[in-house]
Amino acid sequence: MSDSCSETVRFMKLAIDQANLAMDALEVPVGCVIVDDGKVISSGRNRTTDTRNATRHAEMEAIDVLVEQWHKNGVSTSEVAEKFSNCTLYVTCEPCIMCASALSILGIKEVFYGCSNDKFGGCGSILSLHQSTSTVSPNNTQVPLGKAFKCTGGIMASEAVLLLRTFYEQGNPNAPKPHRPVAVACRE
Amino acid sequence: MMNNQLSTCEIVYIPEKEPHDLHNQPTEFVFASAIDPKHANHIVRRLNQIAPLEHLRHVKRIHKKVLEGGQVELSVMLCLASEGDNQLDTVPPALQELISSFQLSPFITKVCKYAASSKEEWQEQCKIWPTSYHPRTYNIDGITGFSDENAESIFKFMQSAIELATSDDLIVNAAVIVDPSAKQIISSARDQVFAWSTNKENSSSDLISNKFATNESFQVNESNNHLKQPYTGVACLYPWQWAKQQLHSHGSYYCHPLRHAAMVAVESSAARDRYLFPSEQNTGEKYIELDHENPSSASSPAKRQKTVCTTVENDDQSKARSQTSNQLSERPYLCTGYDIYLVWEPCTMCAMALVHQRIRRIFYAFPNPNAGALGSVHRLQGEKSLNHHYAVFRVLLPEEAFHKCHTDEVPETKETCVC
Ligand SMILES: [Zn+2]
Ligand SMILES: [Zn+2]
Repeated sequence: MSDSCSETVRFMKLAIDQANLAMDALEVPVGCVIVDDGKVISSGRNRTTDTRNATRHAEMEAIDVLVEQWHKNGVSTSEVAEKFSNCTLYVTCEPCIMCASALSILGIKEVFYGCSNDKFGGCGSILSLHQSTSTVSPNNTQVPLGKAFKCTGGIMASEAVLLLRTFYEQGNPNAPKPHRPVAVACRE
Repeated sequence: MMNNQLSTCEIVYIPEKEPHDLHNQPTEFVFASAIDPKHANHIVRRLNQIAPLEHLRHVKRIHKKVLEGGQVELSVMLCLASEGDNQLDTVPPALQELISSFQLSPFITKVCKYAASSKEEWQEQCKIWPTSYHPRTYNIDGITGFSDENAESIFKFMQSAIELATSDDLIVNAAVIVDPSAKQIISSARDQVFAWSTNKENSSSDLISNKFATNESFQVNESNNHLKQPYTGVACLYPWQWAKQQLHSHGSYYCHPLRHAAMVAVESSAARDRYLFPSEQNTGEKYIELDHENPSSASSPAKRQKTVCTTVENDDQSKARSQTSNQLSERPYLCTGYDIYLVWEPCTMCAMALVHQRIRRIFYAFPNPNAGALGSVHRLQGEKSLNHHYAVFRVLLPEEAFHKCHTDEVPETKETCVC
């Protein structure tokens, strides 16, 4: 367990680095990395203020980087699907309903998140879009309506919350940043 | 051409929760008692202190009945009761005291459990025990009906969405964002899941004509759908099918599984905003959307700033702005005050994107039984935890509306709306 735990924490720390970049840019501090085969292949941070597009969440940013890159490299549609099905996302805050749907549409393999998102969360808090839904067809077989992905929360949650709390409380972007505690939470 | 046909159709409000069976609304048992009208004020004031009944705030405390001969009989709701429980044992002591001091004789009766969401529901509720009815919890035009003029402009904008959806061989979903105060289109887009162009700002890039491989799930979907055709090119209807696309064309195309029409239209409206109102930093003001992805533990009651004034502008931009809005120096916060027209009910991703971008009203023509998030599979307009709520309407159209766009020669059909 300790190996996979330390790897999870290692990637979540990189997601938190992304959240810090967002904070520095006066954006809501949420960040993420996308990992394939033990390697970070994309990262993203929230850019809603700068773009004036409230859908530019960290996850969407990181996904667009990948799609763009694969397109340039001439990767085919079925290969894109294959690649996403091998990817794991590490994000500091539970994906919102929009991002959780997007991750299901892409068919991502697994998601690890930090703090939960009580207002918008799409991975258990408000809706559970990571669980597959299905409908019963006329000939009585289950037909899946969406793709499920494995989802684990609470990874370095206190660090993620602290960043958000600092952001919302400081108001003044020039206020000194708090030092970040190194306490580590890993649940499996 | 199709105006006549469109204007015969209806606009239906899609409420926050599924309407209850009018004559079979959920009820709850309560203790009530007849009281002397002289004591009514005193008793109600005391009851509000000792038995407030928070979750039944829509239920009136007093039930007034006018008997033959004009005599008035008053009953008062005392507290909750359980079915078949005629004992007052569970009633709190303070209430017991009140009952004995006014010599009340409690009986069990029913009241409606949930606040009425329509006038019809409310009228039915009052036959059981009077309730109060607040037609609108927020101020969005249209929930109580549209004027002819507004209805006409709604049909007009829906028509442009349908024209966009059918502007290529492959019918896809289309989105049109509108500023209703200026009756002006802010941005519009077709689905761009498969596109030749890699230019994201170009919302009308050509799409590859393609068809899905037929598989089992399509047969299911067809049977659930009101429409005769499956419309497999519509991204919100088949969000998970992009990977199974069989393309007739080869060569360099751009595939982005998330570029549904609504997402692209939101992106274009943001790009337009950045162009028209370039840098708000010059005024020293900065947006911070305080409740974005904000977990409750970090929430803040601070108010969001809704508009920002800019002082720096060039001629082009100010010209464009004066066309767009009567308030020259004000720009909307995201899509606050804007409406979006979609041919199909949006999927969960798109519907949540429209919450984030603060769209005021959504109009769609056809339901989305596979993935629709405005009543079909989910109902985001009724998710209380969300920080923004839009009003949702369905514009009832016949399927023939699609074909009307292609050829004006199609003979007039007597077919009525798909309801
Ligand atoms: Zn999100
Ligand atoms: Zn969609």
